[in-house]
Amino acid sequence: MSRIFLISLLVLVLGTASSLAGDFAEANQRFQEGDFAGAASAYEQILAVEGPRANVYYNLGNSHFRLGKFGPAILAYERARVLTPRDRDLRTNLARARKDAAVTDESQLDPRINAVVSALSPNEWSWLLASTALAIGALTMVGGVIRLPLHWTRRAVGISLFCIALSASALYLRRTESTRGVVLSDTTAIRISPFEQAESIATLSPGQIIQIGAQQSGFHYVESPNSGLRGWVADRDFSAVIPHQP
Amino acid sequence: MVKIALTEFYKILAALLILTASAMAAEVDAQLDRDTVAAGNGAMMTLRISGGSTNQPVVPPVENLIIQPNGQNQQFQIINGQATRSTSYTYVVGSHTPGDYQIPPIDFMVDGKKISTQPLKLKVTDAGAAAPPAGAPQNAPGSTPDAPADAASEDKDQFGFLTVELAANERKHAYVGEIAPVRIKAWLPADSRANLRSGIQPESQAFTLHNVSGQPQQTQEIKDGKRYTVVTWYGGISATKAGKFPASLSVDVTVAIRDTAALKQTRRRTGGPFDDPFFDSVFDQMNTPMIQKDITLKSDDQEIEIRPLPTEGRPEGFTGAVGNFKFDSTRIPTDWKNGEPQQVSAVLSGTGNFALMNAPDLAPSDAWKCYPAKGEFSGGDAASFSGSKSFNFSAVPRKSGAQEAALTFSFFNPSTGAYQTLTSDSQKIQVTGEAIIEEKPATAPEPPQPEKKTEDIAQQHLKLSAVRSLAPLVSQPLFQNLLILSGGLCLMGQLLSWLRQRRNDPARRAATTLEKSTREALELAAARATSGDVEGFFAAARLALQYRLGALWSKPPQAITLTEIHSHLPSDSPVTRFFIAADRNQYHREGPTGFLPEWRTLLDDAIASLNPSTR
Repeated sequence: MSRIFLISLLVLVLGTASSLAGDFAEANQRFQEGDFAGAASAYEQILAVEGPRANVYYNLGNSHFRLGKFGPAILAYERARVLTPRDRDLRTNLARARKDAAVTDESQLDPRINAVVSALSPNEWSWLLASTALAIGALTMVGGVIRLPLHWTRRAVGISLFCIALSASALYLRRTESTRGVVLSDTTAIRISPFEQAESIATLSPGQIIQIGAQQSGFHYVESPNSGLRGWVADRDFSAVIPHQP
Repeated sequence: MVKIALTEFYKILAALLILTASAMAAEVDAQLDRDTVAAGNGAMMTLRISGGSTNQPVVPPVENLIIQPNGQNQQFQIINGQATRSTSYTYVVGSHTPGDYQIPPIDFMVDGKKISTQPLKLKVTDAGAAAPPAGAPQNAPGSTPDAPADAASEDKDQFGFLTVELAANERKHAYVGEIAPVRIKAWLPADSRANLRSGIQPESQAFTLHNVSGQPQQTQEIKDGKRYTVVTWYGGISATKAGKFPASLSVDVTVAIRDTAALKQTRRRTGGPFDDPFFDSVFDQMNTPMIQKDITLKSDDQEIEIRPLPTEGRPEGFTGAVGNFKFDSTRIPTDWKNGEPQQVSAVLSGTGNFALMNAPDLAPSDAWKCYPAKGEFSGGDAASFSGSKSFNFSAVPRKSGAQEAALTFSFFNPSTGAYQTLTSDSQKIQVTGEAIIEEKPATAPEPPQPEKKTEDIAQQHLKLSAVRSLAPLVSQPLFQNLLILSGGLCLMGQLLSWLRQRRNDPARRAATTLEKSTREALELAAARATSGDVEGFFAAARLALQYRLGALWSKPPQAITLTEIHSHLPSDSPVTRFFIAADRNQYHREGPTGFLPEWRTLLDDAIASLNPSTR
């Protein structure tokens, strides 16, 4: 009985994986044939069903880029960058999309520091911090049971503490990335109050990065890091890079 | 018998009444409800015959006077036993020719007798000279088919009309692209209901209407003695092509008004408590039916000469702005890097056609590559004729080194009829990095490269990557649990390490060994005492004391002698006394005095005195 169940489960898993691969290939085929809208729709369907995948986000960004939708393209690239920060193709296309959309995302950090802290994604930094903390804990545990070579122990603890300090610093410097958003609409007004009739301070370009703050009646208080503009933007005009999960 | 008598009585009474009514003298009367009326309007004439019956009277014709029958009414009343019958004939009387008119006596044949009315006088004034009294009937539906032309015009406007007020402009011409603020008024009858079926639009395609206010004002105004509900919009009208064109506007409206004429026609005086003209307006509102009509309100044509913008003196940077503008503020970053875009902003204010206004240029133009700008307009008035417009655009420097940059903006000023170019204050900037190599203009047309973008972006990824979470790990319980586990492992490791070190401490191990030896010696002494071996008892007991004192004084047990004990302890202490007894037993061979149990008690006292609490 259990064997039948296991075989059924295996068939189900393999069948699902095969179907997903087929959908992805079909979406890629649409892209190659120039059906960018159809490809974008297919990629979004895969993401909705299967969950975040870096390559699907990347390909989705390419589809939106081909359609001239710089806001959705940059959003997809940004989400892919959260998952694979060291993908060169992704970096190239994101820079190209920003250039065409005439938007910038300049970091306030020193370029060398920025290069270091951007080498890993926030989640990778988090894993590094947690794993090195676990390593120190395990080392202490073993050292409590048996006598370890002192020079070896000191070196291991030193490396672990350095990794912990580095990853904690990187997470601190990138603490605002979880509240980043991307402007999607062509005419996104930033208003002084969270109402449709409120006075508009300025307009934001599609693809522009914003910091998302408090929410009120269909609007979010946002800040544009590069221009320093602060105000309320309608929810329909932007999307968070990391979707809110209740 | 009685029933028959009553029937006969009623018959007789009815005959007497008829005879009485017939016997009354017949009377006729003619009245006009007013003696003056404007040309094109009508007065109501009533002919009333009482006390007799007659046919439709014949009204003699009067030159230029229109007399149109409007209805007939009969009444029969019994007052104080006296019966009265009356018949009224109504006519609408008017003329389109001003003057004094006299209606001659009208003859009636009542019961074979000729009775005439008195003559009536009516003064018809010029249409603009005198307005009829309020509440007077105007343009009654009974007017003749050949009613006056101006009356027909007024009838046309009974559902409302449209007026357009242009801003004061001394010029008799305008320029293409020039915008003029206008105030548009829709005049609707005060007690009407109206629904707009379209937006306000120019009649001619040579004009466009901008910035029409979304929330029009609504007021009550009196025009030519008539009350109107006036709906007012503000906007700006501009010309799109040169020539002479009528600048009129129109709007499609469905208007429902009260049919006051129908009310006049059906009103009856019944003599009841509310049969008073004072209540007429109240009943009018309650009872008058509504007439609904789909109409197009159109303003009067005003022909305007539209001139093209002159080509002479047109600046290179002119993009179509018409008006009068100035720079309010500009912002150009001072530090640039070649190839990296930065935001440039400017605010222009003034009056004119902001819809045609594009962003200012960065000068010198060959030193910059500018991207399309985003503009934000803030209106200064209801028509958005004045205001300010802010621009933000990205620019990339092409040349390196220290430079001066400024913003320029060109526009056509319709007041002066000439072009103007504004230049902002120069800004010193520094551009780092290598200069961008300019693309040389192609000498021959190159074949189109529709897939050029394909080369610029990396291609699709064909391998499906693993599912990973976008949610930050630091905000998840797993991360916090891992850190707590790490801390717990560290604490536990430290505890184990401390225990291990404590277990391996030489001093502690020596003390333990010494304690063990002491305990063994005491046990041996107790065994010897039990067996009666006095010598063995003292040897074992002294060894136990030596172990204990050696541990206390940090000396080897062999070094603990009576001399050493004397130097640390008083001579009457149990330890000293026991050591003396032990030495005596060992060296003098006399044996200790006293019983063995006493020596055991002394040993117990000596051991107890060496405990930390009693020492």
